[in-house]
Amino acid sequence: MIYLDNAATTFPKPQNVISAVNNCLKKYSANPGRSSHKLSQKASEEIYLCRNKLSEFFGADSPENVVFTTNCTTAINMVLKGVLQPHDHVICSSYEHNAVLRPLNKLSAYGVEYDIARVFPENPTSTVHSFEALIKNNTKLIICTHASNVNGVVLPIKELGELARRYKIKFAVDAAQSAGVLPINMKEMNIDYLCIAPHKGLYAPMGTGILISNSDIQNTIIEGGTGSMSKLPLQPDFLPDRLESGTVNLSGIYGISAGVDFVKSKGVGNIYQKEFKLISRVYNAFSKIPQIKMYNHIFELGKTAPVLSFNIDGKDCEEVGQALNNMGVAVRTGFHCAPLAHKTIGTEEQGTVRVCPSAFTSDLDIDYFIHSIKMLIKT
Amino acid sequence: MDKNIINSGSITYALRGRDVLRNNGCKAYMFRNSGKSAVGCGYSISTNCSKQDIERILQKEKVKYISIVSGEET
Repeated sequence: MIYLDNAATTFPKPQNVISAVNNCLKKYSANPGRSSHKLSQKASEEIYLCRNKLSEFFGADSPENVVFTTNCTTAINMVLKGVLQPHDHVICSSYEHNAVLRPLNKLSAYGVEYDIARVFPENPTSTVHSFEALIKNNTKLIICTHASNVNGVVLPIKELGELARRYKIKFAVDAAQSAGVLPINMKEMNIDYLCIAPHKGLYAPMGTGILISNSDIQNTIIEGGTGSMSKLPLQPDFLPDRLESGTVNLSGIYGISAGVDFVKSKGVGNIYQKEFKLISRVYNAFSKIPQIKMYNHIFELGKTAPVLSFNIDGKDCEEVGQALNNMGVAVRTGFHCAPLAHKTIGTEEQGTVRVCPSAFTSDLDIDYFIHSIKMLIKT
Repeated sequence: MDKNIINSGSITYALRGRDVLRNNGCKAYMFRNSGKSAVGCGYSISTNCSKQDIERILQKEKVKYISIVSGEET
């Protein structure tokens, strides 16, 4: 199977990630931060090492700001429901995933207002102006995706961070599609909250998520045992314990740690360039096929993540996905849990076929995929 | 030689405190305290560093702790 569904989760995982997870389950699988025995302390040390790695990798203020969650959606919920109060206003982009939109919709029932800023893929300055025009006296937060999971449009995160800082508004970034692929530095980009899906660009196992919180989160959405301050009925007021109740996914965290090592060994810039080169080959080939419509409004190094959405004239996207599956190619079809992004690109009725390479995708894989699409058009 | 115990509410702060003290030339190791304190379970650091040095180093590195006590592990 040629796997081009890496925007959903990367596959295969690197050997060092598989070994780290195996090793953890075989040798060190004790509950961290709860006991005084050696195994528990070893587990705690490994988690701390992983926090340190992630803190350094993403430019966090300190390792305790790194919170492990079950997925990126949980991290986003923790931010939105932890920061926003009734009568607060929040601005998101027109490319948001349901991970952002659905919590906002829920919060709107409790008096939180939200507006959607239009994104201009070819003009980052206009995108920033679009956000700025929506700022009100009660705007507390700007939240946006770093890169669209539908067509790879990259938002001007640094400039939006500067805007948020200028107006003293908190800034949250959904980096589900970008962490490990595009450079991210929270300090340089003025990011207060960074939400990450490590099973994608960091090549970790699924069932893992990360929230890096450089600013306060007032409310918690989950409370419980943290292994600390256990005689008190109140949730601890310090990170990561405040947001990390219950036993963490130790083997998953071992996988994240190894995944970061893998990405660092390759280099984020090199991974991005390789993947962009591969997706560019698809883009260039498809540009010459009149029956194919692509939805990447801009296709430029640095402005597009390696994600491409398309349709074939007269064929339903599901039909294309099934046919590709029969030919041994895995892609994602439909609405990608991002109906707003599809509305933005004009595909809210039909959806699209989405392809995304990884660090393991080869030129031959891409050749076969292009060939399969050509065959499909002929039938 | 001084022997001080730094009580921390969080294992993350205890580990960071231990590393910060070691990086500043102190001997330091972390252990789980027995939870006899008012707040319950937690982790502590045993160090040969003086109280003044501990306060200075941990404050500079923004490592939170609950208390510093001199003497044996609790």
